[in-house]
Amino acid sequence: MNNTPRILNRVLIGILGITLIALGTLLVLLASVPAVGTWWRSWSAGAWSNWQDLFGGTHFPGRQESWLWLVLTVLLLAVMGAMVAWVAQQGKGRASLLVAEEDPGEVPGNVRVGGGVAEQALRAALADRPDLAGATVATYELRGAPALRIRVQPRQGVAPHTLAAEVSALVEALDAVVGKRTPVLIHISSGARSRFGRAERVR
Amino acid sequence: MSHATERRNPGNDVAPADPGNGAAGMEWILKRETRSSRAVAAVIAAVLVIVLCGYALLETAVRAIGQPPWIVDPEAAAERIVALPAGVPPLLLGVLGAVLVMGGLYFFLNAVLPGRRARHLLRDRRAAVVVDDEVIASALARRARLAANVTQEQVMVIVSRSHVIVNVRPTSGVPLHAEAVLAAVQDELREMGPSPVPDVRIIVAPGGVIGA
Repeated sequence: MNNTPRILNRVLIGILGITLIALGTLLVLLASVPAVGTWWRSWSAGAWSNWQDLFGGTHFPGRQESWLWLVLTVLLLAVMGAMVAWVAQQGKGRASLLVAEEDPGEVPGNVRVGGGVAEQALRAALADRPDLAGATVATYELRGAPALRIRVQPRQGVAPHTLAAEVSALVEALDAVVGKRTPVLIHISSGARSRFGRAERVR
Repeated sequence: MSHATERRNPGNDVAPADPGNGAAGMEWILKRETRSSRAVAAVIAAVLVIVLCGYALLETAVRAIGQPPWIVDPEAAAERIVALPAGVPPLLLGVLGAVLVMGGLYFFLNAVLPGRRARHLLRDRRAAVVVDDEVIASALARRARLAANVTQEQVMVIVSRSHVIVNVRPTSGVPLHAEAVLAAVQDELREMGPSPVPDVRIIVAPGGVIGA
């Protein structure tokens, strides 16, 4: 439920994949089919001479080097910057506020409840349960509105529906305290701690 | 506090029947939670492109200021690529191409396939609930173990999107009623109510376990 740009991920990964497949197929064909080799040599020689003409026509006045090299440098830097920005988009979307609203009472001002309230209250409520190997709570921003993500790791053999009902009862108690319904995701997950820990026998 | 809430907007705030803006948001959350975000493939792709661009940048910058190249001069590299089938052993070329195709297939399939995660949804009146299939499997295994009266090691449950397969190895000499196990597992699944609902198959191993 974080704000990873999923469609962008798909598109960019797809472009890279198609490019790599095309390059690889070309190399395999070059290695195995002689006719492709002759075609490649004639085609690429033409393309390469075009580039050389371009580089030859773009000298710095009075110097040997072409300024196209500088343009290439800037272009490569731009691509690298875009890639870094893309990586920075992955998994972002954490929020710090659970409620931010104007107070309708007589006193002018805003009411803000930090996400830490819900996170610590729920974590404390879930901490002592013997059937859980771990629980984490985080606040995310979901289309501009805050949402809670509760991730619980039950021990082996715990029935997920009863666990979900109990956690959602806790969430309803939190609703009554905060006075606002935030969207909540309960993720009942398995991890190394629940997999290798002892099984829950007594319930 | 409840006083203030009632005065502001009666029935629209803490009333449990009201989905509010949460309903649409929850559908969206659940759709995202059951599919892979492809963050791993995205990061790998970005790092790959950054490394390639970084190397090209180094050689280009070195060339732009007129210094000797680090590994290979861009022009010499281009000339070798132009003359390609010559100068490189065909086996090496073919293997290189095959590796590139493999890497490309990884990225391409990651982009095109639906990328469903091994998770099911549970109905809940307040929150959106997703459960890893492993958790469902271990709950069903516990129920099947109690119904079959065997130890934990004799039951193995595999949960996929639309199938649950329960493998039971009976204790040698003790009869095992597959129908009872099936009924117990189906009962547990009905209580759980995962969506999509998988159908159950019980496989009783022909050999038994001695001394369990």
